[in-house]
Amino acid sequence: MNKETNIRELLRRYMEGESTQAELRLLKEYFDSEQDLPEDLRAFAQMFAIIDEEMPTPSAEALDRFSSPLKENRRSFRLWPLLAAACIAAFAFIILMPPEEENMAIAYVDGKMLNNEVQAMQMGQEALQEIFSNGNQEQQLSELFNEP
Amino acid sequence: MKRLLIILLMSVGITLCATAQEGLRINEVFEGHVVSKQFIQESLVKGDNLAPYNLKVLHTAKCVANNKERTTIEQLFEEDMKERISDDNSNMEMESRDGHLYYAIVQLKNGARGTHRYICYQCRDRSSHYDITLVYMEGKASLADLRRTFKKK
Repeated sequence: MNKETNIRELLRRYMEGESTQAELRLLKEYFDSEQDLPEDLRAFAQMFAIIDEEMPTPSAEALDRFSSPLKENRRSFRLWPLLAAACIAAFAFIILMPPEEENMAIAYVDGKMLNNEVQAMQMGQEALQEIFSNGNQEQQLSELFNEP
Repeated sequence: MKRLLIILLMSVGITLCATAQEGLRINEVFEGHVVSKQFIQESLVKGDNLAPYNLKVLHTAKCVANNKERTTIEQLFEEDMKERISDDNSNMEMESRDGHLYYAIVQLKNGARGTHRYICYQCRDRSSHYDITLVYMEGKASLADLRRTFKKK
């Protein structure tokens, strides 16, 4: 009677999904060996007859195989390609975008900076005229011959 | 981390190459390291003012130099000349006398954005000193365009 109560408790745990492998084994042994079962427990005997073996515990190797795709996925999601792409995109943007034209016109005369646009332009133009006229050769020749 | 560093260094390198007058030896003259700034008349123009000439940067320096300073400037300019785009007459003009450079217009290798870059040098012998003119230019203008625009008639 005590044994039956115990079995009923184990069955309750089994139905609730709380039973351990050992408890499951006890239930199977009980239903395999017991011939004189109460009416309400006979259906369970048929059920436990179908369960041949205890639920196999997955091996460590199987567990590894199961978890490895996840590990690989995690490994392949690296930050550096994203950072590299972001860096390249940023620098390409800086280099390829036409820069905002910086307007500047400064002249230095006698070591002093003059923020005078007209004078800076005039000095620049004069220098270029002098260069592209090859020092204004005629002027050079006249200077050379007029020298005391 | 190592890869990231390499990428960052490459990017910084590219950015530095993109800056206009960087890396030229004649910068020493513009910066007053050869002849004191006091004896240099310098002009730096960038942007809209140069649009009619199809230029973006015009940097000029005129200075009074002694023999030693003249030799230094000449050497610096000749160093920069090594970066010329070609030896073709259409990209370069120069005149030397008695082993000294008197006049040169040199087109350098293009800038990072494909702009043309030029350096020019002129030395006028004043017996007691030398009047030297240095120019750095950058823009879309060709050498022929610049000659047409600035050559005195």
